[in-house]
Amino acid sequence: MKKIIFYFIIASLVFGETKKWDAHSAYLLPQKRWEMGLFQPFRYGYSESIEYSVHPLWFFVMPNFSLKISQGDFAGFTSASQYKMVYPTPFLNMIAKEGIMGIIAPDFQMPPMLGLSASWLMSKTIFPFFSPYSLIGLDLTLKGGLDLGVTFGDLDTRSTIDIPLVYHRLGVYYNKWSIHTGLDIQKNLTQKFTVLFDLDLKLLPGLAEVQIDPDASKLMGEYSLEHKLLLIWNKSENFRVLTGYKFVMGEYPYGSDMRLLPYIPMAETWVPIIEFQWARQKR
Amino acid sequence: MKKFLSILGVLLILGCDPFVTEFKDLSDAIMYEADSKSNATYDSGTIKVVTWNIRFGIARFPFFGDSCGDDVILDDATIEENMVAIADALNAIDADIVLLQEVDVSSKRTGYMDQVQYLLDNTNLNYGCYASMWKADFIPSDGIGRIDAGNAILSKYELTDAERIQLRLRTDQDGLTQYFYLRRNIVKAKIPALAQGAKDFYAVDIHATAFATDDTKQQHIDKYVETLAEIHSSDDYFVTGGDLNSVPPGSVTDFCLSDMCDGDDYHTDQAEEPHKEGSYFENFPGEPDILVPLYEAYDAAIDSASYNLPEHFTHAPSTSLIDDTTATMYDRKLDYLFTNGTWGSGSERTHQAAWKLSDHLPVSAVLNFGGE
Repeated sequence: MKKIIFYFIIASLVFGETKKWDAHSAYLLPQKRWEMGLFQPFRYGYSESIEYSVHPLWFFVMPNFSLKISQGDFAGFTSASQYKMVYPTPFLNMIAKEGIMGIIAPDFQMPPMLGLSASWLMSKTIFPFFSPYSLIGLDLTLKGGLDLGVTFGDLDTRSTIDIPLVYHRLGVYYNKWSIHTGLDIQKNLTQKFTVLFDLDLKLLPGLAEVQIDPDASKLMGEYSLEHKLLLIWNKSENFRVLTGYKFVMGEYPYGSDMRLLPYIPMAETWVPIIEFQWARQKR
Repeated sequence: MKKFLSILGVLLILGCDPFVTEFKDLSDAIMYEADSKSNATYDSGTIKVVTWNIRFGIARFPFFGDSCGDDVILDDATIEENMVAIADALNAIDADIVLLQEVDVSSKRTGYMDQVQYLLDNTNLNYGCYASMWKADFIPSDGIGRIDAGNAILSKYELTDAERIQLRLRTDQDGLTQYFYLRRNIVKAKIPALAQGAKDFYAVDIHATAFATDDTKQQHIDKYVETLAEIHSSDDYFVTGGDLNSVPPGSVTDFCLSDMCDGDDYHTDQAEEPHKEGSYFENFPGEPDILVPLYEAYDAAIDSASYNLPEHFTHAPSTSLIDDTTATMYDRKLDYLFTNGTWGSGSERTHQAAWKLSDHLPVSAVLNFGGE
């Protein structure tokens, strides 16, 4: 424990590059700035080298916390490490019920579970001879990491929620671990408009299956590929609007599937993401 | 870049598949074949037919939806065990044509087993066709999750021209419930190997509504009668059957009290609903005699002299089974076989020994083209 505290103190001394509106990247929020969105977590720049975030609405049913720590320059990239912790049990037990919104069968009692995640993020501006804010420059972020799902009790494998976005996120508790990697590319179209392209791969490696039936294809396990394309209108430093889509494809217990999101079931149609985000600088 | 955008475009379109599958009035059924086919050559004479609602292989599991149970998802090992037993039972009956209801092909509740393919691969049946009655990416209620369940026709002989005929939806539900609810159907297929001279041969399978309290059941039976009449008027043969969720004329029509779960209240002034859904057969005028047109027009495997005899009862809710000595294994007839040909005299069977394998029992008979 002492080592961990020491590590955070040392890390906090490494001043990183800060940027506004760059949650997905290795850049941290400027000190004392907060940002939040309708569907995004509340983020706060604690110092020039530490940023933390929580999903405030989810917090009461699914306690969660995330910390991003600047790691300085690494191989020409601005780097940061990110650590997440989530306790989904109260929420999962809320939806394990009879009747409407019974997402998990009431037969199952979800045990205490803790999700831990560690990621490494590296960002840089491609075409360095242009300013990061020029219309030609691209902000590239590469990331990767490991997730652990710690369960304190019996977790019935039939209690999975087999829908895109959800299955692989909760899959870590059934598989005990998962790997994630991805890249983000952000480009300023004008001073006010930005486009963000995002690609994330999550793997639930099937090591147990490989031991039974050696086959390299099973090593990868069940995968999920998520892609997002957003057009962002930066109204000011304190407010922006985002629109676009999210596409998910992956391997599920029933086979391969893909889905364009957000999707309205009863209307059987896709609708664009509409996200509002606010920010302020605390004095 | 163009290639990338094209691929992305295709993926995005594919990503917009309906969340809940709705069907046209008439659509193609999904065709199946056994992985390895057994030799089956029709040498004229007789054709054995069986109808069976296999309750998606959960046997007498206390499922929340159709009994007093509160369980939803059965474990994979038990499903496999049940399906082995169902396949064994079908092999023992050795029918040429099998009309199945409540078959899961990709459902969370049964471990996503494709039960049509499983039965083809583990019986002496070679061909199949399937029509969904409930297909959704996710049912956000009671933990049901993903579902694809429906009717299937299995046959030793090749099936062609398989059609899914949509039955009217219930009108006694709100829009949201109806959207996520069952879309019942009739599945119909031609069996060229069984054609008799110029007369084509069809198998028709139905699962009519169980829980509607409006006139949906009447609409389903009317559509069924109409479908059969079309074949008959074309001077072709058919065998048909299924779970009609209707009792024979003259039967007891009120099972509310015997099917009642703990805490339920029916037939009293305080009761929220006067009758239990699925246990009462007088929801609209004429319901007790709803099957009369079928009995009048066609040959029934279990004829009117026998249809109310206990040895031909085919159903009791799974939780009516209290224990081996006091159980109600079957207390009503809901499953039927008809033909516009002639069933062989004495060939009809209600396979009550199979009561452990489903809450419905198989009914079989032998079609005799000789008219015996």
